[in-house]
Amino acid sequence: MSDQVNLTIDGVELSVPNGTLVVDAAKMIENPIPVFCYHPKMAPVGMCRMCLVEIGLPVRDRNSGEPVLNDDGTPQVSFRGLQTACTVQVSEGMVVRTTTEVVTKAREDVIEFLLTSHPLDCPICDKGGECPLQNLTMEHGKGTSRMDYSLKMKLDKHVPLGELIYLDRERCIQCGRCVRFQEEIVDDPVIRFHNRGRSLEIVTMSDPGFDSYWSGNTTDICPVGALTTADFRFGARPWELTPVATLSPHCPSGANMTFSTRREAKSGGRSVIKRIMPRQNEPVNEIWISDRDRFVHHFADAPDRLKKPLMRKNGQLVEVEWGEALDAVAGKLQQSGTAVAGLSGDRVSNEDMFLFQKLFRQGLKSHNIDLANRRLAGGDVVAKVGISQGSNLLNLGQGDAIVVIASDLHEEVPVWWLRVKQAAQRGAELVILNLRPTRLDECSRNVIHYQPGQAIATLRQLVNDAKVAAADADNSPIKAAADVIMQANNVVAFYGAEGLTYAETDAVARLLANLLLIKNEEAYAGRPNNGLIPVWPHNNTQGAWDMGIHPALEPGYKPAAKPGMRANEVYAAAQTGALKALFLLAADPIGDGLMAGRGQLDFLVVQELFLTETAAQADVVLPAQSWAEREGTFTSGERRVQRYYPAIQPVGEARPDWQILAQIGERVGLEKPAFAASLVFRDLAKAVPQYKGMDYRALARVEKQWPDVGGDDLYYGGNAYENRVGLGMQWPAAAESGAVDHFEVADVDSELPGKVVVVRTAALFTPGTLINHTELLQARMAQPTLIIQAADAAKLQLAQGEKVMVEVAGRGVETAVRLSEDTPEGVALLRGVPYQAGLTELKVMG
Amino acid sequence: MIGELIKGMATTLKHMFRDPVTIQYPDIKRPPRTRFKGRHELKRYDNGLERCIGCSLCAAACPADAIFVEASENTDEQRFSPGERYASTYEINMLRCIFCGYCEDACPTQAIVLENKYELSFYDRASAIYTKEMLIVDVPVNGNPTPQAVEPGTFDKPIPDMEDPR
Amino acid sequence: MHKLEVYRANGGYEALQKVLNEYQPGEVIDIVKASGLRGRGGAGFPTGLKWSFIPKAPGEKYIVVNSDESEMGTFKDRELLEKNPHQVIEGAMIAAYAIGAKQIYNYMRGEFMGIGQHFEEALKACYDAGILGDNIFGTDFSCRMYGYYGAGAYICGEETALLSSLQGDLGQPWSKPPFPAIEGLYKKPTVVNNTETLANVPPIITNGADWYKSIGTAQSPGPKIVCLSGHVNNPGNYEVEMGMTFHELVYGENYGGGIRGGKKFKALLPSGGSGPVVKEDALKAPITYEGLTPYGSTVGSASVVVMDETTDMVWAALKMVHFFKHESCGKCTPCREGTFWMERLLHRIYEGHGTEQDLEVLQSVATQIKGKTLCALGEFAVNPVLSTIRHFFDEYKAKVQGGQKKVAAKTAVPTPTD
Repeated sequence: MSDQVNLTIDGVELSVPNGTLVVDAAKMIENPIPVFCYHPKMAPVGMCRMCLVEIGLPVRDRNSGEPVLNDDGTPQVSFRGLQTACTVQVSEGMVVRTTTEVVTKAREDVIEFLLTSHPLDCPICDKGGECPLQNLTMEHGKGTSRMDYSLKMKLDKHVPLGELIYLDRERCIQCGRCVRFQEEIVDDPVIRFHNRGRSLEIVTMSDPGFDSYWSGNTTDICPVGALTTADFRFGARPWELTPVATLSPHCPSGANMTFSTRREAKSGGRSVIKRIMPRQNEPVNEIWISDRDRFVHHFADAPDRLKKPLMRKNGQLVEVEWGEALDAVAGKLQQSGTAVAGLSGDRVSNEDMFLFQKLFRQGLKSHNIDLANRRLAGGDVVAKVGISQGSNLLNLGQGDAIVVIASDLHEEVPVWWLRVKQAAQRGAELVILNLRPTRLDECSRNVIHYQPGQAIATLRQLVNDAKVAAADADNSPIKAAADVIMQANNVVAFYGAEGLTYAETDAVARLLANLLLIKNEEAYAGRPNNGLIPVWPHNNTQGAWDMGIHPALEPGYKPAAKPGMRANEVYAAAQTGALKALFLLAADPIGDGLMAGRGQLDFLVVQELFLTETAAQADVVLPAQSWAEREGTFTSGERRVQRYYPAIQPVGEARPDWQILAQIGERVGLEKPAFAASLVFRDLAKAVPQYKGMDYRALARVEKQWPDVGGDDLYYGGNAYENRVGLGMQWPAAAESGAVDHFEVADVDSELPGKVVVVRTAALFTPGTLINHTELLQARMAQPTLIIQAADAAKLQLAQGEKVMVEVAGRGVETAVRLSEDTPEGVALLRGVPYQAGLTELKVMG
Repeated sequence: MIGELIKGMATTLKHMFRDPVTIQYPDIKRPPRTRFKGRHELKRYDNGLERCIGCSLCAAACPADAIFVEASENTDEQRFSPGERYASTYEINMLRCIFCGYCEDACPTQAIVLENKYELSFYDRASAIYTKEMLIVDVPVNGNPTPQAVEPGTFDKPIPDMEDPR
Repeated sequence: MHKLEVYRANGGYEALQKVLNEYQPGEVIDIVKASGLRGRGGAGFPTGLKWSFIPKAPGEKYIVVNSDESEMGTFKDRELLEKNPHQVIEGAMIAAYAIGAKQIYNYMRGEFMGIGQHFEEALKACYDAGILGDNIFGTDFSCRMYGYYGAGAYICGEETALLSSLQGDLGQPWSKPPFPAIEGLYKKPTVVNNTETLANVPPIITNGADWYKSIGTAQSPGPKIVCLSGHVNNPGNYEVEMGMTFHELVYGENYGGGIRGGKKFKALLPSGGSGPVVKEDALKAPITYEGLTPYGSTVGSASVVVMDETTDMVWAALKMVHFFKHESCGKCTPCREGTFWMERLLHRIYEGHGTEQDLEVLQSVATQIKGKTLCALGEFAVNPVLSTIRHFFDEYKAKVQGGQKKVAAKTAVPTPTD
């Protein structure tokens, strides 16, 4: 039987894959059938009855099985009343009629039924203007109402399902998209239908209400204004909003989003970000974003943003003009000779980082460049065996394997967690290695919880087991996992830094690379849907590696002739006086506890959004623009380079990072600065071989995506879905174009630093510089918690719920003790404090 | 020749005893026609609540993009309008307005009405922007000023009826 | 009869032994097919055919007994479970053997909590006697049966809603396909049979298909329990031979014994609220699955409600529509909104506040629901309205005209609450 099926919809003949639903087939030929409950990302239920159409099947002779023909030779077709197009799969010879009188009448009737209980408060509804119910009523409705208003139900119009999402019971049309999304897609069944009949209503079953990292997505897919976010409620009318494409400022998945901006009176007529909605990019985040991404934008408009350059005069930071500040920075850096260092954060754009390293390497002849906060190594390995071009986690399923090591994807990169979980539901085997249980464990048959300090040994064992034939090894779970990996058609491996030192993460990356390279010629690495994905701590850590924010690697992973100081050496040198000047780009090492103070530094420059702890000690503070005010590119963990666009006017006199760096560069003798980010990117693409062929125009290229959710018909909700401005480009890993040698793995010292070691674990809502500005999320913030086994707790004389001071990065943090037998012996999990890699000894302070 | 002169003077003479067509504006003002479209007013209900629910449909209908509305949510402690929301900012740029009256047509609550005030002159552009305070009518005799504190449950309709809001 | 000893003394479980020892599963299905047994729950689907849809491949399969009888005026399964539970158990076990199921669930309506005791006791007796459990009667057939109580929802009598409810989900039907025979309980092949249907199986096995076919009519063979209620002298459950007339049922000495108080007959509901109401002319129709077709109705589960001349048909329609509105699961739009709307309109008309226009809208809303709903409940819900309007339009007309005089149309009417 062929994979394609031929059918006719309203006289148009088409051929679609077997198993396609009639409603999707009609959408393919742009003859959409109206729907409310159906959503292409979810299983059909056929509840709303809006998609009723006439479906006819060819009549077959009972004996011969041959199609019966009419007199004129056309096949005879028999129609069986109205059927829901969303639940019926296409079949050979099917004839669908969507324009007959019966169908038109059915649509009119269903709309009338829906409106009998609807409050018709479109003028004040947040969905009004981008509402599927409104649109479909205009298109298919009767235009008059026979329902007497006095017969309507009165229901609650302001029901908080949680702090983030409000429900309007009157507007709800019981399509169940939200309920099904929470259950089917994100596996957080915290909202359910309650009661029955006309009393059917959505309720939340969790405490706190609607306790899910994905709650905001339900407002996008809601076909009416029943679910609204607390953030946007009554914020603006949709037609007044300007959509601007952007990217997640936190997430290494590179989630595509759209800002909706509008001028606001109380901000003095400035454009402000009213909401964030997901933007469709099927290989990246499909159409989902986590609540952190959705609500994070408030920092961009925060009143405490830096607005003018600051310079220390007589011990005080005072506002100065740009020229004075830039001259001072350039002068001081040059005076310091090569005793200068530059440390960057990993949330700024590729352009910024490229010019940053250029300023130091070419302008100041110093290789002392690094990331201010190094957590996860292996960028150089990823350049060789990273996930291949053309991969899509959506393609993984039956017969494939996904390895996740030392990472809690649900808390770190929810989008990847979702996509990995869905791959597992499609049949992919997961191999999970961690020292504690994580949420992905429930989708996996191969979970290995290693002892603290045993990560490398366990992974080494896995790689060795994978190399030997099945019969030659013992039947340990590690061997079983190795077999799963070696029998898979495709293998994707995620690695993180939880409970690992930087050196250990480097070994993990190399071991995983070797695992992907075992089959030599037929190695997994280099094929589509295969390769390594690092769970980077930030949105553009990958870009930092690509741009050469590394003491030993220049842009494009070219080894530096004379490697400079690493970040920890820089911090040490700052204390001893060996380093004279330090430039910090979007980093706060003092606040993060990485640097004790400014020490013996002659000169400290901080380029930042806020007056952080480090900035407060600086000699010059340069105000930078946030990602909402400027354009640039980020590179995701899957090495997809994507653009983001300016949405609001700059705050104060803040300038884009790349511009500031170029202007300093000019003052230390580099060429005249480029005047646009696109020109910086052009230079960058010349210097980084992997980015060859990329420019702003190429990155903005789009093509039609399936499912088609962003159309004007808004059937699937959300007018921000449509991706008009760029799907981005993935750069090729070395393994795609030729053989890659196996990696040498150095011996790593895995000795534990104490009897009970602290492993800091990620939480999606961990307090941080950016997220602290979103008031709405404060109630959801993870509270500092020390999770420990009862036996260990007894030894340390800690009791459940007790508040103890724990030393974190040199200072005390008050944490609540929680006893949990899921925590391995000798480990105390620390959650809700800014996430750092590595192990430290547990020090409980008096 | 003389005849023509006398004829002309006679006409002049005749008009000297007629009432003049012109009036002494601004001392005397001519009453506007009933269908005159002058400066907008934002109306109130008899109980003093504002009619405007901040739906912004006037702004959407405005061909000159003269209207700017921002809405906020009513509470029973701080109630401005009988519906679910009210206009926290309402501005009309009178330099842009072309007095077409589309805003009136678009209004679902008859909140905005082009009344008969026509004396609009400004010294600068900023003062051409009429704010909500300038546009809204005075509180009626038996009404209360907004915001009002009301009993919970008194106003439970998302959009009030045109008359007698409940 | 509800005691195992008594049941066995009367030949109980002999049919099961016969089946286990003498027949292949396929043969059992053939016998039931040949007997012409049709589902007693209301739809009248041939039982043997239903069993034959179950895939032959080995794997987990289920028999589910549908004892969620919630139709207005139906009380036959209740009596079966109370008085003769073993015949139901035996029938279910034969069905389990026929399709290769090892688990049987009896889904009883929540209100059967007390009656279910008898059933639970019967189950226990069977387990104790080795009739349920492993290696029944020394064969390699093993089977377990469990009782389960619903939470009181009419819709759970619909097979897919019943299965959803049994799985612990909200009792809402699903859109077929998938049919339960392919993906039923826990996504495994499942047969859902009415209690009475299964109680018919043991005698068929014992006496043979031909014996069964000799009872009743050719198309509707076998006996049928009729639940007679309403304005008759002797309401109750009567086992009748298919083909007997409704007249005999209502007026016969051994059956209804005539209208209470010697009043005149007005109308009859042949299948509770879900079948269209019929008038006196239909009394001569036979009690068969097809008998009422000429009168635009159906026998359904044979819960006959008789109404005498004093009955207000608008009131009756309101009563029934209120029931359907209350019992609608709310999953699909036409049923959820339509029953709600119809109830509000009927209430207004009944109270005397209705207008002619209301009557028109009522009729058109009912027609509008038809053919669009997800399951049969919505289709049933329009029957009381459409059939009473067809047969008793004058009564509606009178209410509407009286109403117009009484009240001005626009006055708000207190609306019904649940």
